[in-house]
Amino acid sequence: MSLPPAVRSYLLLVRWEFLRRRQLVVMFVLLQVALGVGIVYGFAFLVPQITPTVAVFLATGAMTITLTLLGLVAVPQEVALARVSGRQGYLDALPVPRLAPLLSELTFAVLMQLPGAVATLALAAVRFHLHLQLSPLVLPAAALTALTAAALGCAIAVSLPPNATQQVTQFLSVGLLLFSPVAFPMSRLPAGLQDLHRGLPVAYMADIMRGTITGHYDTSRLLAFGVVMAWCVAGLATCGRAAARRH
Amino acid sequence: MILEAEGVTKRYRRSAAPANDGISLQVEAGEVFGLLGPNGAGKTTLVSQILGVLLPDAGSIRIAGHDVVARPEMARRLCSYQPQATAPVEGLTPREAVDLIGRLRGGRPGDVGRRGEELLGALDLLASADRRVPLSGGMARLVGFCMAAVVPGRVVVLDEPTNDVDPLRRRALWSLVRSLADRGAAVLLVTHNVNESERCVDRLAIVAGGRVLAHGTPSQLKANLGAPLRIDCSLDDPSRPPPLPNIGTGWVATGRRLIGQIQLPEAGDAVSWAKTQLDAGWLVEFSVAPASLEDVYASWVQPDQTQTAGAIG
Repeated sequence: MSLPPAVRSYLLLVRWEFLRRRQLVVMFVLLQVALGVGIVYGFAFLVPQITPTVAVFLATGAMTITLTLLGLVAVPQEVALARVSGRQGYLDALPVPRLAPLLSELTFAVLMQLPGAVATLALAAVRFHLHLQLSPLVLPAAALTALTAAALGCAIAVSLPPNATQQVTQFLSVGLLLFSPVAFPMSRLPAGLQDLHRGLPVAYMADIMRGTITGHYDTSRLLAFGVVMAWCVAGLATCGRAAARRH
Repeated sequence: MILEAEGVTKRYRRSAAPANDGISLQVEAGEVFGLLGPNGAGKTTLVSQILGVLLPDAGSIRIAGHDVVARPEMARRLCSYQPQATAPVEGLTPREAVDLIGRLRGGRPGDVGRRGEELLGALDLLASADRRVPLSGGMARLVGFCMAAVVPGRVVVLDEPTNDVDPLRRRALWSLVRSLADRGAAVLLVTHNVNESERCVDRLAIVAGGRVLAHGTPSQLKANLGAPLRIDCSLDDPSRPPPLPNIGTGWVATGRRLIGQIQLPEAGDAVSWAKTQLDAGWLVEFSVAPASLEDVYASWVQPDQTQTAGAIG
């Protein structure tokens, strides 16, 4: 039985992504693990006393950050580079569905982030003696978080001039690490930032990760998954519109 | 007719002059059609519209009867393409790159493998076919050609395929371009390599300032030149050109070269004049030869047309 042409194109493009970056795959995975370890250990220096609640936030927050940082920082830079180097123009002229190159890029980003996220969680569980209550939804939640971050990263890259993309994504990574209720509770943020985060996806990404790992959601499961999915669809739609646009 | 462009017009924002200003051309199956013109003439803009990547402001483009302005996905299916920039081969071996594009263009793995081997072999690339080293500019361009030719479209668009390619491989490349047409493709060839392309193209158009200035077969265009021969002289000192003779027309001096168009009966006098200048030390060498496509090109494209503000390609 042969695959539908669209699926075949997508799988070939995923293969292309892995082949062209095969030398970097090991480095990507190791960096993601190192990032998770850094957050678990590094953030612990900032907090004088690691209570069980703090430990849960650090462990699940570190996992959320490993799942989002590559999508929000590396994906837009890759998309911007493709636009400048002519790779995007070449892909635009190939007989493949318009979203297929983007989906292959996102697939690569998601797969690169999962091992680091798992390692981070395992390490945090050992470090803080956590008893996790993993839900069967943990894998879909991790994949959705990584996909949403990568889709939003891509949406940023297609909406901005290539040379502005890097500055914006660096700004975002600082905001994500220090000013987002990911590794600490929302209540620690000033009221203004709390309001901002009620509209942004990051707090909900952290919530679905925490919820599927510990069984406790900050908001409701339905709301958290719903908001992340809505941002995911919006990100993909922005990228899809850009891919189909002819100037 | 496989490719028909009619009145294609494209103006970029923030640009005074249109990049394409009512360009019309037709290319048949089995034909190599050359698109010649200076930098900024609008060639790559035209190619991007044929490929369905850029939207024309006016005009129509049909490929194998399909309106590809309305249905750009048909353009992508029906055209294979070698870009002016290097094809994105980084991180891949030449064989992997050719294989991936062949399969993305719908080729069966066995067929793609065989055809890829044939193309890489014809261009003497088999020794480096499985190496993932950074390729030189010329090698990357040859791999880009193989990617366009492994599962060719009904239209094969080649944008400057010979740039940076060494002379022997260039010869092999021209013969592969010809064989693409012989196998039934309509080949649209954008090139600055005017003289070498003369042996390969069936018809051509000279484009400048976004318009087609002349089109026809190489012999038709040369017949319109008005002089079947040219005399090509190398000056000893470019700042001291010799006094021009009363024979020949269209004398042009560029750097050390001085070129004039001459009629057949003038050939003897032209040689005597050049010999005298050679003996007197004004010239280093000279030749009298049949007019070439480069002479046709030079007769149409004036130096002030080599740059058109705002146009791309």
